[in-house]
This record gives sequence, C-alpha cells and structure tokens, in this order.
Amino acid sequence: MFEKVLIANRGEIALRVIRACKELGIRTLAVYSDADVDSLHVQLADESICIGAAPSLESYLKIDRIMSAAEIGDVDAIHPGYGFLAENPHFVEVCESCNIKFIGPSSRAMQAMGDKNAARACARKAGVPVTPGSDGIVETEDEAIRIAKKLGYPVMIKAAAGGGGRGMRSAHNEPSLKSAFHSARHEAQKAFGNEQVYLEKLIVNPHHIEFQIVADSHGRVVHLGERDCSIQRRNQKVIEECPSPLMTPSLRKKMGSAAIKLAKSVGYENAGTIEFLVDQDRHFYFMEMNTRIQVEHTVTEEVYACDLVKEQIRIAAGQPLSPHIAHAVPRLHAIECRINAEDPANDFQATPGRIDFYYAPGGRGVRIDSHVYTGYTVPPYYDSLIAKIITVGATRTNAIDRMRRALGEYYITGIKTTVPFHAAMMRNGDFRDGNYDTGLLDRLVSAGKLELASPPIRLRE
Amino acid sequence: MKKHDLSVFEIEKEGFRLKLEKGPSVQAAAAIAPAVAAQPEPASTAPETAPPRPKAIESVPLNDIVSPMVGTFYRSASPEGAPFVDVGKSVTEDTVVCIIEAMKVMNEIKAETSGVIAEVMAENGKPVQFGQVLFRVR
Repeated sequence: MFEKVLIANRGEIALRVIRACKELGIRTLAVYSDADVDSLHVQLADESICIGAAPSLESYLKIDRIMSAAEIGDVDAIHPGYGFLAENPHFVEVCESCNIKFIGPSSRAMQAMGDKNAARACARKAGVPVTPGSDGIVETEDEAIRIAKKLGYPVMIKAAAGGGGRGMRSAHNEPSLKSAFHSARHEAQKAFGNEQVYLEKLIVNPHHIEFQIVADSHGRVVHLGERDCSIQRRNQKVIEECPSPLMTPSLRKKMGSAAIKLAKSVGYENAGTIEFLVDQDRHFYFMEMNTRIQVEHTVTEEVYACDLVKEQIRIAAGQPLSPHIAHAVPRLHAIECRINAEDPANDFQATPGRIDFYYAPGGRGVRIDSHVYTGYTVPPYYDSLIAKIITVGATRTNAIDRMRRALGEYYITGIKTTVPFHAAMMRNGDFRDGNYDTGLLDRLVSAGKLELASPPIRLRE
Repeated sequence: MKKHDLSVFEIEKEGFRLKLEKGPSVQAAAAIAPAVAAQPEPASTAPETAPPRPKAIESVPLNDIVSPMVGTFYRSASPEGAPFVDVGKSVTEDTVVCIIEAMKVMNEIKAETSGVIAEVMAENGKPVQFGQVLFRVR
C-alpha cells in the first residue's frame, strides 16, 4: 500500500481523497494555488506545497510544478480527482516515467477513450450500440450536410476533443447545420485546441444513464449499476440518482454487460464511467466514457455500500478487487444535489465571495461532501461547486422527501446558492414521478416554472 | 494586525511608502517603533553610500526575490562552490542569485530586481514552494 499520496486537485474532491487516504493510513500532500491557501483540504493534509498563482493554468494545470512537488514530497502516487489533469494522458505518462503511480487508468486506455470519436469506434468494434452518427471526423460542410441528410434531423455536432457536456451544437435543419458546423469547429479549436468534430443523431428527450465500472490490475472488471443524470442545466448535471427510475433488471443486465465489454476491450483499469443515452423506447446508445472518478460517484457508494475512492487507491496499489465491490448488490435509493455558488433567481450567475454563515443539514440518511465553512471565501477562478448533498432512502420517494427535508435546514449566507432551486425540484411533480429527460430542467427554467422559496430558518450569525 | 498575522507595519511620509509583513519577523521589536519620524530617502542616494541608519527607522524599501517554481533551493552552483550571492552583494536584474532544482533540472534564478541583498530567507538544500521569499533586497 502507498505511504504517501499527492492530491492534484482542490475543493470538495481534494477533501474526498484526503479523507479516503486518512482512513487508509496514508500520508497526504496537498498542492494548492495562492487562492486556496485557506482551503480545508490544505489544512487537513499532512503536508502542503503552493504551486502557483490562482488561475488554473498557472497552478493546478502546471504538470512540472506538480511533479516537482511530488518529488520533494517523495510521494508514491498521485490522485488527480476530476477535471484539471484527471484525463490528461500526457500527465499520466509523466507520472509513469517518474515512477509515481497515477491513480487511474493507463495513458493508453485513457487515450483510447479520451478522443470521443475514437471511443465511438472502440464501442462499435466491441459490439456496443452507438448513437447513429458519422463514421469519423467530418471535415467539410458538404460532408456534414450529406451525413445529416442520411441520419435525419435533428443532429448534434460534437467536438472530438470535448467532453463533459462541452463543445456541442445541435442543428434541426440544413441552414442551421451549416452555421452550427462552422461555429462548433471554431469553438472546439478555442476550447480544446482541436477543431475536429463528428456528427451524431440527436436523440430527442433522452435519459442520460451512466454505468460505474471498477477494474483491477488483474483483469477483473465489474459494474456497480447505473446513475441517472438526466437533470441537467445547459448540459451540466445538477441532480443525479441511483438507481434510474427508467431502469429494468433486464436493461441493467444488457447495459452493464456492454459497459464491462467496452472497458475490457481497452484494457481499462481503476474506476471509470460509461455514459449512455436511453431513448423513450429504452434503446440505449454509447455516448462517451469518463476515465476518472466522477462528481456523482457518491450515490453509487450509498446504494452499493462501498468507498470508491479507497478502492481506486487499493487498485492502484496492485490489490485485487475487494470482495464487497466484486459482489456488490444495490440496496436503497440515493439522490445527489449539487450545490453551486450561483444565483438561481438570476440566470444562475456565479456568485463567488465570502460565506458569512454556513450550517449544513444532518440526521439520518444525509451525507454532505463539502469543503466550505463559515468565513470561507469561494474563489472566482474555478468551478462553482461548493457542496454535494446526498440523501438515502428505502424508496425513491423516501430519498426525495428526505432531500426536501434536509434542504430546508441548509443555511448559507453571504453568497447566493442553488439550495432553493433544488428544494423547488424536490417538489416538482415530473421529477417526483420519475418522468423526466435531459430537456426537463431547461424547459422548467425557461418557463419560469420553479418557485424559489426563501429558507425557512434564520440563524443568529 | 493580529487577525491578518501581520508582525511588521511601517509607514513613511512624503513619498508615501507602506510596508506590511506577514508572519513572524526577526525585526518585530524594532520595527513596531513608529517610523513616522523617518526622513524620506532621497532618490539619488545609492544604498552603499547612504549614512548608517538605526534599525527602528529603517525605511528603505525592501524588495523580495520570490521563487517562481517548486523545487530545492541551492545557494551555489556546486556543493563545494561559493554562494552566488551573500548579504551585502549588489545585484542587478540579470544577476543569478541561486539555483532551484526541479525534477533533476538545475534552474538558474535571476534577481529580476536591483539592489543589495539584505537577507537570505531560504535555507540551502531545502524545498521551496511557489511564491516563497528567497532573498530580501534593499
């Protein structure tokens, strides 16, 4: 087992990794930017090294400084969290050449799945259904028009180097396809340094259902069921649940097998997620694979009674899959709400700043993964996630009602947060009925259908 | 000051200069004495030829040379070699003041300021982090 791990991340996931390390008796080294000097994870780590100025490009993305810190700290392994360098095959290679274990898949497996277009080819080869689309990169406008005609509108233009819901444009007819094709390429070049795009048939009102897979270094791959992440605002997940209200045992078996097959075909190791789109008729299509731990890994942990981050570390240290993971059985229902520093009454504008008072809910079946505290200043340089609240219940309705109860106790002042928005969602009839798709939230928001209530409690600050 | 962990606070009139220092300071006792009575430093006076000043009213601004990277700090090019700079040494922007070794690469660090080395803040052979003060320059 490792003696010391460097956490190459920040915020709630850095805290998550440090917690897992502490429970495993592993010493921790946190690297941080100027803006995160007061961060909770920096204080909890055994050692910490400042690696740069606030902007990510000058700190959390600086491979040389992170490796230098790893060398000084004499660490055995690096956990990349999610985002930043978590899916950067070059970073994995640098770790490999420095004899420091990267807690995740090999650079080869990461590369195979990282290029979203190449991943589709892998899926096709493995016999996993993919969204009907172009056979590869679409180079010209004429080619795009031809392929779109064959697929039938509407279509989606996606960046090959994209992911995480970014670098996508939809087109509902030929005129809009032309402009969407060119602007998608332009955006892709700017955002990912790679203008290559491919086309997919746009599946109307799908469910986004993803499967958690765990693979050890001895060739064993299992899946830990699915998460439904269809509640999205502008392609960003905001609410996730396990299991999916749309799932049936036979569909789970088919999708789970497909996920395992795909992971095995690229020699995948460690934790990963295979994302599918599922249409109204319960046909499923491979969309992309995320070769890292995900934000919403928490709901799987609650339902399958496991610690995925600890398992990541164990796998990286060469241990075989833990028996409780290999034979995991789902019990209970879990929901996660992502609390962001955003103002839901103001088009979800980001609201960085000082948290004057922070009180988090508790009680049975409530889990909070958060790095913030009273007096903490949310910096403007990074994503707006300040907390994840997860509730567990014997049934889906229990979990939803528990979330509604817990959100009523969540008291955060000084900045605006999306707590009232989530509270409104827990009251929403379509969500409660499990009758939703990836378009629901944007529809509710634009129709002004979400009533944002003020918190029922006031605490003396 | 205590709230922000400041231990030194200086103020100077006329060509208004303000100096704040975080964390423990060797000069704490001396510097807390008000520097208001200090004469403004004439711009043309070169530091070496300035008349000796009592520590309590040291109002000449200090620049810091900070580390631009994460690595191990070395004062000389080789273990038995002489240090690049010492207290009292004059530096210009291009003067190499130390080496920071990162990932087996020896990086020569330039002063990027001019003046006289007033204090060596980092320890030879010890790790330094981004932004850490290496030298105080007068």
